[in-house]
Amino acid sequence: MEIELATGVMLDADGAPASFDWRGELFLTSSRPVRWYSRSLWWQHAGQAEVGQGRNLVETEMWRLWAASTTGRYFFQLRHQLPEDSWEIEEATG
Amino acid sequence: MGFSHLNVSSAFSAHYGVNRPEQLAAAASAMGSSGLAITDRDGLYGAVKHIGACISVGISPIVGVNLKITGEQDLGRVVILAHGHNKGLGWSTLCRIVSLATSRKGRKKETSLSIHELASFFREQANCTILLGLESSLSRLVLKEPGKAKELSEFWKEQFPTPGSLAIEVVNHMTEPGLIGSTKHARAMLDLATATGISAVMTNAVRYIEPDGALTADVLDSARHLEPLGLFEPQPNAQAWLKPVSKIAALALEVTEDTKQSMALIENTERLASNCFLDPEQDCGWNQPKTPEKSALGITGNPFEVLWQKTHSAINWRYPEIKAAELATVQHQLSKELISVNKLGFSTYFLTVADVAQMIRDMRIRISARGSGAGSLINYLLGISGVDPVAEGLLFERFLSTERSTLPDIDIDVESARRHEIYRAIFRRYGGNRVTLLSMQSTYRGRGAVRDGGLALGLEDEQIDEIAKNMWRFSARNFRTELNQKPELAEFSKLTETDRKLNLLVDITQRLDRLPRHISMHPCGVILGDSSLLDLTPTEPSGMGLPMSQFDKDDMDPMGFLKLDVLGVRMQSAMAYTVKEIKRVKQVDLDLDRVDKDDPAVYKMIRTTNTLGLFQIESPGQRELTGKHQPTKFNDLTMQISLFRPGPMKGNMIKPYLDGRHGFIEPDYMHRDLRDILEESYGVVVFHEQLMRIMKVMTGCTLARADEMRRQLGKPAKAQGVATYFKKAAAARGYSQQVIDKVWSVLEGFGSFGFCKAHGAAFAVPTYHSAWLKTHYPTEFISGLLTHDPACIRGDYY
Repeated sequence: MEIELATGVMLDADGAPASFDWRGELFLTSSRPVRWYSRSLWWQHAGQAEVGQGRNLVETEMWRLWAASTTGRYFFQLRHQLPEDSWEIEEATG
Repeated sequence: MGFSHLNVSSAFSAHYGVNRPEQLAAAASAMGSSGLAITDRDGLYGAVKHIGACISVGISPIVGVNLKITGEQDLGRVVILAHGHNKGLGWSTLCRIVSLATSRKGRKKETSLSIHELASFFREQANCTILLGLESSLSRLVLKEPGKAKELSEFWKEQFPTPGSLAIEVVNHMTEPGLIGSTKHARAMLDLATATGISAVMTNAVRYIEPDGALTADVLDSARHLEPLGLFEPQPNAQAWLKPVSKIAALALEVTEDTKQSMALIENTERLASNCFLDPEQDCGWNQPKTPEKSALGITGNPFEVLWQKTHSAINWRYPEIKAAELATVQHQLSKELISVNKLGFSTYFLTVADVAQMIRDMRIRISARGSGAGSLINYLLGISGVDPVAEGLLFERFLSTERSTLPDIDIDVESARRHEIYRAIFRRYGGNRVTLLSMQSTYRGRGAVRDGGLALGLEDEQIDEIAKNMWRFSARNFRTELNQKPELAEFSKLTETDRKLNLLVDITQRLDRLPRHISMHPCGVILGDSSLLDLTPTEPSGMGLPMSQFDKDDMDPMGFLKLDVLGVRMQSAMAYTVKEIKRVKQVDLDLDRVDKDDPAVYKMIRTTNTLGLFQIESPGQRELTGKHQPTKFNDLTMQISLFRPGPMKGNMIKPYLDGRHGFIEPDYMHRDLRDILEESYGVVVFHEQLMRIMKVMTGCTLARADEMRRQLGKPAKAQGVATYFKKAAAARGYSQQVIDKVWSVLEGFGSFGFCKAHGAAFAVPTYHSAWLKTHYPTEFISGLLTHDPACIRGDYY
């Protein structure tokens, strides 16, 4: 399954997503977002681990939040991929 | 707002922590912390380095340990912090806790302590504080079974009723909500603390300075579990880093959701921290030399007077037929040495070493001193060394300087086969409360790093072996650079271009390089202290069963510990065997230490170059040099041992020496004032002692100052100062610019070439002894060699 992305992500002062586009609609965050850090199994895919790359190889910033568009309200889990700075939608339940 | 990290694992938590104490202290100081803890797993291995590093960056050291605690149920790991500024009560309690926890290690059991054993250290008062944090069983229960968690905390409280014994750690690693280390979990721990009245502190359970170190920590976890990554549960993320106070404050606020509460939490942490700030001098005896008590040495009265008497009364023994003029020289030298020793307060130290040397001789074990200690007349008179420093022109100042206050090293060579016997005898003589062996830390080098890196990535054993085979002669931290330069790595380098894991292995290997790996017994170090020794150092069982300190040789000076190097030498065993055989076969009682040192037959035998089996002069290179050198006296042996080393050979010092000796060239003494100093080596500067004398003659400085400058010559940053001083002072004393420049050009490059003459002379004693035995009792000597296997027989040369 292809990974869906949230695009046009606007951040608040704490670095939390305040609004983003998904499936052609604008979503506004409607709960207090919760940040946590997940880890990745870098040894399965990484080709190098030079000093300085450790953090991005080991952990990923994750956000849990509710966000609403004109058509509905969803619970999202977003994965903030670095260094690409892309926002993957890991979960979206209405 | 101040904040000190109270839970920090350094690289001395083998296969767990990532950074060395020096790096951690520098980072903590840079972020403005007032103090920093080191709380390594299972021991205080990095504690002395931590204290030293904290002192040098100007922050307060805190020391603790991370230990597994057992009970009827598994209680997990806790951190135990020593309280400070209590005249060592906290420090000694911590040392004793660690020593007890490791005492079972020898029987293949892991380091741990039962809760009852731990409680026994807290009966009267709390000299330490126990932190119940992420690794404790409390942490596993607090979200899943809050009732049980409450019961468990009540149980801890019952076991440790003394106020100040316990604290609960609040750690917000921002893991997945609901898991251990999540904000929610941290909040539950804080609530538990509030509900039970146990004090709460904020820590970050640190394993690395920067988040980048988390990757190294993953690899270390694999080495600890002995399993490839993916086969065990890895750390949850990369949050266990040494965060600055601003980030810690934000994490605390996230947990409490209340500014006042979060401030209180951090203030409470800093309160405990300042309670644990150690006073290195008062608490740990920092920099204060310690020696056995007089009673343990069997002396009464003033140690200096005893030393004075012992040395003076030995003059007749060492110099039986001395003439009045020589006696005056000897007495003058002895007075000079005694004044220095008294000034430094080291009398007891010398009496201790003499006592050990006497004990070894009484056991009828062969002993000889090595190193600069042979430069001391006191050592000669006390029977510690067998070299006459007056006759050999050795310098006391090279051995002991009044400008440094650390205990000097006196190294002793003994029969290798009886070394452990001596260790046991030292324990018996001074008591197990005053003696412990020395340990050393092995660190990751190329091969070990590649092996453990390969294991982490799940590579095949054969493949790792193949790579490890070529990991040598370079530092693993330059693996990537070397990969493109070393021909033996070319094949592997090609593979890394296409094989992802192999390329990853290069980076991982670099990350592991130099990290401590495991502890082992030092090959020759014994620590001798007073009856408070076990209050000052934690110990654990060594491979041979006797306890060893968790501190290594670099920790000895700061801790003020007297370290005796008792090194096993196979040649001494071979000679002892020879003497016994001579008695058995020829019925001759031979005291090797009393044989004539100027026996022409012995030098004649040496000059044949048939020196196989002789100490220090049996290698092919030494045999060739023996032929060219044609030694005729004891000092020639000292000279030959000192010259045949990489430095003098590279510095092309051997040829001018030999040419001068055989009269092919006129020796160049550079100036008539230096003739006396350089005559023995035909104008070539060979010895540290010669350099010191040249400095003294040409600048008028003391020999002690000359030795300080000799040390500085080896340090590029300080050598310039010595140059300036030398040129100015020599000019002031009327030496011509030409002479000054010439002498300086010799001294300048001396650092890497020079040798301590005392060391050469100390080695020449067993060289002569072995030659004497080979000359007069060849059969018995060769049977000794065959029995005790010194170098030549092992095939080192053939």
